[in-house]
Amino acid sequence: MVDRDMARLSPGDDAAPANGADAGRDGGRADPAGHARGSAPDGGPRDHRDGAPDGGRGTASSHGRSGPGSATGVPAADAGSGDVVLEIDNAAKIFPGNIVALENASLRIRAGEVHCLLGANGAGKSTLLKIIAGAHLPSHGTLRLNGQPRRFRSPQEAALAGISMIYQELDLVPQLTVGQNMLLGRVPRRFGLIDRRRRREIAAAALARVGAGFGPDAVVESLSIANQQLAAIARSLTMDARLIIMDEPSAALNEVELRRVFGVIRELTRQGIAILYVSHRMAELREIGDRVTVLRNGRTVDTFALAATDERTLVEAVLGREQALVERSARPAAIGSVTLDVRRLEGGQGLSVRDLMLRQGEIVGLSGLNGSGRTSFLRSLFGDARWTGEVILNGQPFHPASPADAIRQGVALVPEDRKTQGLVLDASICRNAMLPSLRRRRLLTHDGLRRAARPVLADLSTRFHSLDQPVRQLSGGNQQKIVFAKWVLEGSRLLLLDEPSRGLDVGAKAELYALVRRLADDGAAILVASSELDEIFGRCDRIWVFHEGRNVRCFDPDRDTRDDILKAGLVGADHPEEPLA
Amino acid sequence: MTTLTDVAPPARGGSRLAASRAVDLLLRYNFVAIFFAVVLIATALSDNFLTFRNISNLFQQASVVGICAVGMSFVILTANIDLSVGSVVACGGMVASLLMASGVPPLLAALAALACGAALGAGMGAISAFAAVPSFIVTLAGLVTVRGVTFLLSNGVPVGGLPRGFGQFGSLAVPVLPGLGFPLLGLLFLLVWAVAALVLRYTVFGEYVYATGGNAEAARLSGLPVRRVVISVFTISGTLAALAGVLLAARLRIGQPTAAQGLELDAIAAVVLGGTSLFGGRGSVTGTLFAVMLLQVLRNIFNLLGLGSFYQMTITGLIIIAAILLNRAIDGRQGRR
Repeated sequence: MVDRDMARLSPGDDAAPANGADAGRDGGRADPAGHARGSAPDGGPRDHRDGAPDGGRGTASSHGRSGPGSATGVPAADAGSGDVVLEIDNAAKIFPGNIVALENASLRIRAGEVHCLLGANGAGKSTLLKIIAGAHLPSHGTLRLNGQPRRFRSPQEAALAGISMIYQELDLVPQLTVGQNMLLGRVPRRFGLIDRRRRREIAAAALARVGAGFGPDAVVESLSIANQQLAAIARSLTMDARLIIMDEPSAALNEVELRRVFGVIRELTRQGIAILYVSHRMAELREIGDRVTVLRNGRTVDTFALAATDERTLVEAVLGREQALVERSARPAAIGSVTLDVRRLEGGQGLSVRDLMLRQGEIVGLSGLNGSGRTSFLRSLFGDARWTGEVILNGQPFHPASPADAIRQGVALVPEDRKTQGLVLDASICRNAMLPSLRRRRLLTHDGLRRAARPVLADLSTRFHSLDQPVRQLSGGNQQKIVFAKWVLEGSRLLLLDEPSRGLDVGAKAELYALVRRLADDGAAILVASSELDEIFGRCDRIWVFHEGRNVRCFDPDRDTRDDILKAGLVGADHPEEPLA
Repeated sequence: MTTLTDVAPPARGGSRLAASRAVDLLLRYNFVAIFFAVVLIATALSDNFLTFRNISNLFQQASVVGICAVGMSFVILTANIDLSVGSVVACGGMVASLLMASGVPPLLAALAALACGAALGAGMGAISAFAAVPSFIVTLAGLVTVRGVTFLLSNGVPVGGLPRGFGQFGSLAVPVLPGLGFPLLGLLFLLVWAVAALVLRYTVFGEYVYATGGNAEAARLSGLPVRRVVISVFTISGTLAALAGVLLAARLRIGQPTAAQGLELDAIAAVVLGGTSLFGGRGSVTGTLFAVMLLQVLRNIFNLLGLGSFYQMTITGLIIIAAILLNRAIDGRQGRR
């Protein structure tokens, strides 16, 4: 670890080209320090800086991938440096029915590094993770742990060997205490009875290592998601994990919570533990990761040193084609009639929204931290939460009593979680798409439903084999399109989108926002709530920032900067400007 | 991330596609195959099995459980459960019997019993839907309460002296073919099944039942009247249970407060055996129809073989477990858990 600490002192150090991968890693490691001031890393200036010390490597790598860690295109190239904890070679997983979930994946993870895994939905990330964590046996290929070939027949075997997986949906028992959870199945015993004191000691020691602000006796369900995640990490430590796999840990965390988890991750890597980190959010990978392995269509594309690789190269690797990064695209100002005029809306948990206006054809973003009231505002407009106040919809007073009532008045919600709130997963595509608009029919024939659904789904370019296929089988992006199709078929004019791109890969996101824009061009009024500012910044006509339940300020992305918006989201606005008309 | 569709291309040979579709169909409607297998076994075991008379008897005997099971299918499709049907059967029969014994015309008495069953079902459904209490608990309380009320109504003794016409109704045979009479109760069961199947397949309500069971939250956020759907399915279940109670009273020619104890379990077993998921959203009343008849045929086989009810209970239980495991395996094959 010494060399790394030295590298941190000299972040601009241009390391020997022969060991380029290490240089990249150290650059990345040094980065957090230099980066701590900006709360959300933004791509532009960083690419620039990363490129510079490498003598333009970053910019050149879009052409022929001359990045150091990828000279041969095979991760084996850098196997020599650092202690390799885990090696996976040519792993494949073929499910019954000849369904190839993973074709040829290779991966090298070194001790003490944060190794990221990037790939579009369906690229095989989950399958690879499951192979590493012992939930699947690979059909082909080898897995070596500390040089020893291993075959894990169960997650328990993998855990015993020092591989610990932290799932996105944390697998803690909510009703038990942190200590009970941490040592579940491995309780220390004395005379055949649970040694409670020892359990508390072990748990407390592990919690101290992750810097948790709660004790082993805290009941899990009383903790915030971030703290639950810390408990899960601490549990990995009690298992003596050498490799901790984190599957999209940031999905449920806000910025501040994420910083804490990152702090813990850095501390663990300093102790020599390797982290395999999965996330879709590039900025996040850049902040925490050392190297990234990109999967595409079940194959390893390459492994890159993050600090030496620019965004375009990564996006290209993920998508497999030249895909321009989304830039802010100009749209004519919406001059349609006012669809929604929220003069005053007050709801539970301090929700208080004033003077928020939305015109026909307009896309307005709602930004702010988690819990800032974006979701409850949308839910209120959708008749799913109680509120008082004055809201005008299309010139009429609007106060829906229920979602059904709101839908009748042309309002639609694309909920936060498409799987539990948006779709009936086991029902067919056709049935899901037709669900809201069924009420206008009397008798149903399957042909009639298909005839109605097919053109709309084709129009949204949804990809599927058959309209009778359960939506569960579709990819995330296509599932989300079905949710949109519901409201297109219903003819909704005011669309409330709550984190519409959650869990979607870059390509699916771009497609989704193209769709949103088309709906707006067709005259729908659209509110998009998102926790990823970068995403709405380029795509909204205006952005309202929410802070502690209030809409504090309205920004115009053409004039204001992301930093202003981020800052307003973090601290609120001291002097709220008059909203733009 | 768990999607595999993009990987598996649909381009397969035409004949292989057809074969795989046939396998899918067979798996999906496995209860039909099992049913006919059991029928074949029964036919091989006894010459008396495949006679019109025996088949008629099977339908006559299955009608009460069968009608309840159809109502239960609606409830289970919404991921709820109705444990009260046995008691509602007894209560419906008792209400009709008491009214007839006091001189009310049979048709009116029967309608009153149905209304009573509907009200009981709607009440339990409403409590479950509005107070967000699991229907298991509400209907468990209903099971006890309604049975208690039934005993109170009759002071615990059977009510006899029903009109002659009512009793004959219970054993009436309708000449479906010249010289061959099919029991009216069996026909009513088939009628209830047919109506239920049509409702589930061709009406908006039917679609709502599936959607509510598949994902109540998504259904609610799609503007479906989820609570009304839940109340409706319990109303259907209560009404059909009361109808079954009236038919049972007609068959026994007596209002029996102890009637149909444990019938709810037979009904649930039939629904699940018929491939309806206890988690809701998946299944059909046609599956229920076949399962009810399958259980009846099994009983018949045991009777024909002269095996007692102890064997019947044991084997029936084992067959239900086997069927559930089979359905689990099929779900696994289709990528559901």
